[in-house]
Amino acid sequence: MKPFVDVQNLTIRYETRQENALSSVSFQLKFGESLLLLGPSGSGKSTLTSCLNGLFPRELDGEMHGKIFVDGRENRDLLPGERSRKVGVVFQDPETQFCMLTVEDEVAFGLENLGIPNEEMELKIDAALTLVNMLSFKKASISSLSGGQKQKLALACILALEPALLIIDEPTANLDAIATKEFIETIKALRDKVTFSLIVIEHKLDGWTDITERCVLLNRQGEIFYDGSIRQALREQRQQLTREGIWIPRVTQFVLEQHPLLSNPPLTIEEFRENPLPIKEERIADHVSISSKPLVQARHLSWSAGNKEIVKDVSLTFHKGEFVAIVGANGSGKTSLSRILAGIRQPTNGSLLVKGKSLSKWKEAQLRQEIGYVFQNPEHQFITNTVYDEVAFGLKWKDTETIEIEKIVNDILESFGLLELKNEHPFSLSQGQKRRLSVATMIVDDQSFLLLDEPTFGQDSHTNTELMGLLKQRHQTGATIVMITHDMDIVADYATRVIVIGDGAVLADCSPHELWKMPIDKLMYWKLELPISVQLKKIYEGAASYVSTTT
Amino acid sequence: MFLQQLNPSLKALTIMVFIIFLATIFEPITPLLFLIWTVLITFLFGKVSWKKYLLYFSPFFIFALGMLWTSIAFADPPINPDEAINILSWSLPTENVLTALALALRVLNVAALSLLFVFTTNIVHFILSMMQQLKLPPRIAYAVLAGYRFLPMIRDELKIIHDAHLIRGVNQAKTPKEKMQNYKRYAIPLLASAIRKAERTAIAMESKGFTGDKNRSFYRQFTIGKLDFIFPLIMLIGFATAFFVSKQLGF
Repeated sequence: MKPFVDVQNLTIRYETRQENALSSVSFQLKFGESLLLLGPSGSGKSTLTSCLNGLFPRELDGEMHGKIFVDGRENRDLLPGERSRKVGVVFQDPETQFCMLTVEDEVAFGLENLGIPNEEMELKIDAALTLVNMLSFKKASISSLSGGQKQKLALACILALEPALLIIDEPTANLDAIATKEFIETIKALRDKVTFSLIVIEHKLDGWTDITERCVLLNRQGEIFYDGSIRQALREQRQQLTREGIWIPRVTQFVLEQHPLLSNPPLTIEEFRENPLPIKEERIADHVSISSKPLVQARHLSWSAGNKEIVKDVSLTFHKGEFVAIVGANGSGKTSLSRILAGIRQPTNGSLLVKGKSLSKWKEAQLRQEIGYVFQNPEHQFITNTVYDEVAFGLKWKDTETIEIEKIVNDILESFGLLELKNEHPFSLSQGQKRRLSVATMIVDDQSFLLLDEPTFGQDSHTNTELMGLLKQRHQTGATIVMITHDMDIVADYATRVIVIGDGAVLADCSPHELWKMPIDKLMYWKLELPISVQLKKIYEGAASYVSTTT
Repeated sequence: MFLQQLNPSLKALTIMVFIIFLATIFEPITPLLFLIWTVLITFLFGKVSWKKYLLYFSPFFIFALGMLWTSIAFADPPINPDEAINILSWSLPTENVLTALALALRVLNVAALSLLFVFTTNIVHFILSMMQQLKLPPRIAYAVLAGYRFLPMIRDELKIIHDAHLIRGVNQAKTPKEKMQNYKRYAIPLLASAIRKAERTAIAMESKGFTGDKNRSFYRQFTIGKLDFIFPLIMLIGFATAFFVSKQLGF
């Protein structure tokens, strides 16, 4: 059988870069086959998408060599209208894939482009929305949807065009754990209903391993270093996978840490359940003592936007030396609460004390030396024109000598691997470098109370490990850290205290250990998942007690 | 709810035609009567909330008053006392007062006509209808629609950037010059993200087969039927009556 997609020796180089974005990439895909394409950020994954959907070479500033055949025809010869019937793409960012205001109009948009007669549209729209379980949202406005629903809508828009090849380009990078799970389930269910070839482009393996066994791995140079089964890759390429910063499934990683010699590690929780192994819970103990003196006290805080009360009567006390994780479902008011705690937003009611002094009595400049806040998108916080100035900025507020500033800045840039980029504009850095720079500035600023809004969102595994390492360091040198996160593994590994927020109020405030012991249906209701380590341990203990009671 | 169901393009054209008509009138009676007519039609057939209407109408009203005031205050003293009007012991030439009134009323008329359109028309439907009836190229129409979606996003983004800069301790701007500098600082991240978002949207639209080609079908179809002509007819009756009455009164 002739392959449906045939990529031959594809090489792409951008005008502005020395190195190739993709180097001699070749692979084939049969009709109806699925493929996972994995690579760290900067490995040319998105470049490949642009080639497959025909944007390149037309819009490319640079050189392209090699050929791409889709359904036996060279891709660049297809007209855009024709191509959209063959290749459909769901992109990463749920916010920017739409041009209409309501769900039905958006699905119709693609059909209109193809000139589908008006009488047939309604049926096709309903069918596409049914496939992703979104029919009840047909008349809804797009801005009222959650991120996960938006991605499902993007999928429906593409499915309505009935493409033979579906490419999904990091579709879950901007989604939380639960929405991610749901999206992957949707794709899985689709495979049984419709026949199409599928390319999943990702830097995280979790959840996708059920869909296909085949994976193609890209390295940072944009070359394919592996094409074959995932299991074999985990056996033979484990080191390279880690070196390239590709997330291997967390279950696999965790089991391998404890049983490094395992030749066929489980890829999912289900696989572990079939073959449970003893799990020790090893938590790297923190030797930071928690002071009894309160650092930040919130008393009966509430905050409303319009008529809606977003934060409801929250009273919390933070002590020096704590590492607090704030968890809860999307839209539960976590971000709003954190902004109030940082003093960016005025509460409608209640008061905030920092070091025993009411917030209104603090001078803005001094307050900013006490409280730091790290936003999700690092770009938002860049204020100067070079990497060097960005780090030096915080020091200029404190009366530091010029020579000293230079030394401190250079040291920090060195340790973050940013020294050779010190004259670049912060916006010209790669995503990972931007995140590192934003953390560097926060370390220089050296605030004693640091709030972070989901800083690990959409990062590859390298950047993530680095970031958490640095936070840990800050914590050990005396900072109090409060972090919003969806990642329960991070809570398990780092937090000394966890606060569950739901519907604007505090639902639980305890140690992570106590949280894991809570009834599972309560956690489900709060939309929380247990961390992998705890889940595996429970499965093993369950299996062990089953064995001991039956024998 | 009759006004909401009209074809948006024809409605817009009608309104434009009457604005041009009004520009040719220099006496106050016709615009006054036509203004009453327009507002009446808006509330009778448009189901518009009067609170909202007043809120949007008031700036135009203030503007019209201002215009009236300046054209009266800076009028020349009357040459012929027979052609003068006395207001609060002020003697003003009748001609000038009437022109000033006509101008102020013209402003109010344009406002009333525009509000009639704005309050009874869905902007998306208007753009779709412009593509179908007025041959607006899809390339432009969908660019406008996508941009319309972007506005609230940009507002949110600006808020976040403002907060983020505040946190880093930049925002102690007090003088206007410092404030300007702050806004210059917001511009780069704002533009960078807007450009990136626009590019992504464009790519997504293209991968759904959008080429800007005029040969496309429409999910929401707009047509012009007989009923659609009732609105221009009603407006014409109002205008003609106003004009006739004004002539009868000797203007």
